[in-house]
Amino acid sequence: MNKNTEESSKLISSRRSFFKKTAFFTASLAASSSLLAPLKLDASSLDDEAITKLAPWGTKLGDLVDKNHYGMPSPYEHNNVRRVHDLLSSGDRYATVSMSPLHQQEGIITPNGLFFNRSHSGTTQVDPHKYRLMIHGLLHKPLVLTLEELKRYPSESRIHFIECPANGSTGWRGPQFDNLQFVKGMMSSAEWTGVPLKVVLKELGLHKEAKWMLAEGSDNSEMARTIPIEKVLDDAMLVWGQNGEPLRAEQGYPVRLLLPGWEGNLNVKWLKRLEFSSKPWHSKEETSKYTMLQKNGKAINYFWPMEVNSIITSPCPENPWSALKKGDIIEISGLAWSGRGTIKTVDISLDGGKNWLEASLKGLVLPKSWTRFSYIIKWDAKEKMLLSRAIDDSGHIQPSIDKLIENVGVEGIYHRNPIVGWFVSKKGEVKNAHVRS
Amino acid sequence: MHMFVHKIKLPGLIFASCILLVSLTSASEESGLKKNIDGSVIYPRTKTNYSLYLLNTQNITTFNHGRKPTANEIKAWNVDIMPDGEGLPEGSGSVEQGDELYSAQCASCHGDFGAGGSAYPTLSGGQGSLKNQLLQAGDEPPMRTIGSYWPYASTLFWYIQSSMPFNNPKSLNNDETYALVAYLLSVNEIEIEGHELEDEYVLTKEKFLKIKMPNENGFYPVSPTRSNLKEQRPPLAQGIRCMKNCKEQNIVFIKNEITGFDPKISSVKDLPKNKKQDKDAALKEVYSKSCAACHSNDALGAPVMGDKTTWKEVIKKGVKQVYTNAFNGINAMPPRGGNMDLSKKELENLIDYMIKVSK
Repeated sequence: MNKNTEESSKLISSRRSFFKKTAFFTASLAASSSLLAPLKLDASSLDDEAITKLAPWGTKLGDLVDKNHYGMPSPYEHNNVRRVHDLLSSGDRYATVSMSPLHQQEGIITPNGLFFNRSHSGTTQVDPHKYRLMIHGLLHKPLVLTLEELKRYPSESRIHFIECPANGSTGWRGPQFDNLQFVKGMMSSAEWTGVPLKVVLKELGLHKEAKWMLAEGSDNSEMARTIPIEKVLDDAMLVWGQNGEPLRAEQGYPVRLLLPGWEGNLNVKWLKRLEFSSKPWHSKEETSKYTMLQKNGKAINYFWPMEVNSIITSPCPENPWSALKKGDIIEISGLAWSGRGTIKTVDISLDGGKNWLEASLKGLVLPKSWTRFSYIIKWDAKEKMLLSRAIDDSGHIQPSIDKLIENVGVEGIYHRNPIVGWFVSKKGEVKNAHVRS
Repeated sequence: MHMFVHKIKLPGLIFASCILLVSLTSASEESGLKKNIDGSVIYPRTKTNYSLYLLNTQNITTFNHGRKPTANEIKAWNVDIMPDGEGLPEGSGSVEQGDELYSAQCASCHGDFGAGGSAYPTLSGGQGSLKNQLLQAGDEPPMRTIGSYWPYASTLFWYIQSSMPFNNPKSLNNDETYALVAYLLSVNEIEIEGHELEDEYVLTKEKFLKIKMPNENGFYPVSPTRSNLKEQRPPLAQGIRCMKNCKEQNIVFIKNEITGFDPKISSVKDLPKNKKQDKDAALKEVYSKSCAACHSNDALGAPVMGDKTTWKEVIKKGVKQVYTNAFNGINAMPPRGGNMDLSKKELENLIDYMIKVSK
């Protein structure tokens, strides 16, 4: 310890005992901070004052441990928030969507407070004591469960993304939003905890004519969707946990249906009723909406899985390379996902799709889950058109924009999954741009 | 052990100057991956694991949790209606009655005769438009309305009764719902067994079952009987894994920059400005619950919060008059905006807040 630092710490410890004896904590600290003289090191233009000067947070007490009974992010991160835009709503902020800030997410889990929020009539607040789940229709033993009874089933946890099928839909006619948050923010990912539906159904005795299941929410909009039995008995779950805590109200507290990899709206929130039938219901949200109109005037109904997809999250318009110097080593990283299976391969292009390089997959590679990819380059301060192309184990390869439009036109609204990316200028600024032939 | 960790060997194929890798579909079938009807991979659930996730291995399958619902309980919740009419209740209502209900409870959002006009869905018109593609400015887009798009009237009855009106759902009885369905079919010029739906036309359960919607055959692959559901649906479009000297592409940039994000786009890491507006935040919360449904858009003719010109007009009468109007109700606005829990003082604070934000 050099002399100056020694003096400073003596000073601090004497101040500490002083504070102990007085109640003027904050005011005294502010007044006495001028006593902390800067260290008398040899001034040099190479020195970083963040190192050579005492940091203010190192010389005073932090916040009380119990300041927030529910922890909050650093106040410096107040811009890491969900955002809305009136173009994506139908006249109000009840039936609308808030977009997740993907540009600031790490790994494959979205913090609960940043999970995108799509609802058809606002976030409903269900009283857990009055929560009931009814299972009836074509089965031998119809059932009513309270929340406590449901949670007695043995729990399992799975990491899955949930994506609104309209994610990316503003791009059908060309690039529109100049940020990652609104280009792909209608999705998020969590570790969900609950019970596989087939575990619950096993002792209820499904009739063999039970081919479809209606899942209905208890909110204002009574969101209702029909699920084929093949999905119900594969990987569907009733979930009550989200990243280690009870589901957020925005995600359907206390119970939602989880259909891994399928359209977000099918993962019915505030779940109230499951009915089994030999026929599909054709609810409003599977006829009027969430059907995909094709060029020939016919619409695809019951379109379920979110198709293979990927996006580079760094760089992106919010995370540009403008601070890089020529020759800096930098990682291109992003997310790949598929509702049809597990990501096998991600390729990236630096030149708008003329040549491609296989990226590394990073971290956990799980079914129907976000998967991180990575490719490291040396920044040469030259223009680039960055693209990513994912392939899953079902054999699905992400198509080009041209190919998708050739097949389905531009009026389908949903399930837009073509190869997209970012234009990087010589200065490292990043812009949303499409590649077309 | 875990199927998806296997490396699938991709047979390479040289084609012109491109290196094309053949579709992985055949490769995954070779590797024995089973697929579901949506084309997704089925990962087997064994006694010990599901893909990478380990499971409880005790193999207990009987839990006996919960209880049997009563007949009344099932009746209370089982109110859905299917395309073949299963679940449709008895009742009747005329086009004329529907017209009155529509004008009072629906037109503010969906426009006169269902013609739209606000940001809420348009309910009529658009027949024959479904092949339209809006490729450039000036093109007519397809219009998805009840008449042009909805395949079944059962959906209409069910949805109206369970989810509409938007801010007061489950408030319409069976007769009222029949009347509204009759009205909406009439403005879409839909006939029932060759009969036009004139004002005096009374829709009953029996006549409802005869409704044929114009676009019933406009959807695939799932019909109400499910007979034509295809197994293992293919992707919408399959890409090609070209690695070198692939097709030259043009870069298309954003034509018109969009602003209006809320909050503004920013990644700045700094300390937020002081929150001296705590009182306003509380009022904003009450506003969003009690006032925003009408005052956040001009569909109902309510002064839109933030609209300076309109609010200037509103306060011309004097703030006291605005207080009185809001307390007693005015035009389409019910007393206290329909929130009878608001005290006079709270209502006045809210109005002050709305005026402040609209200056």
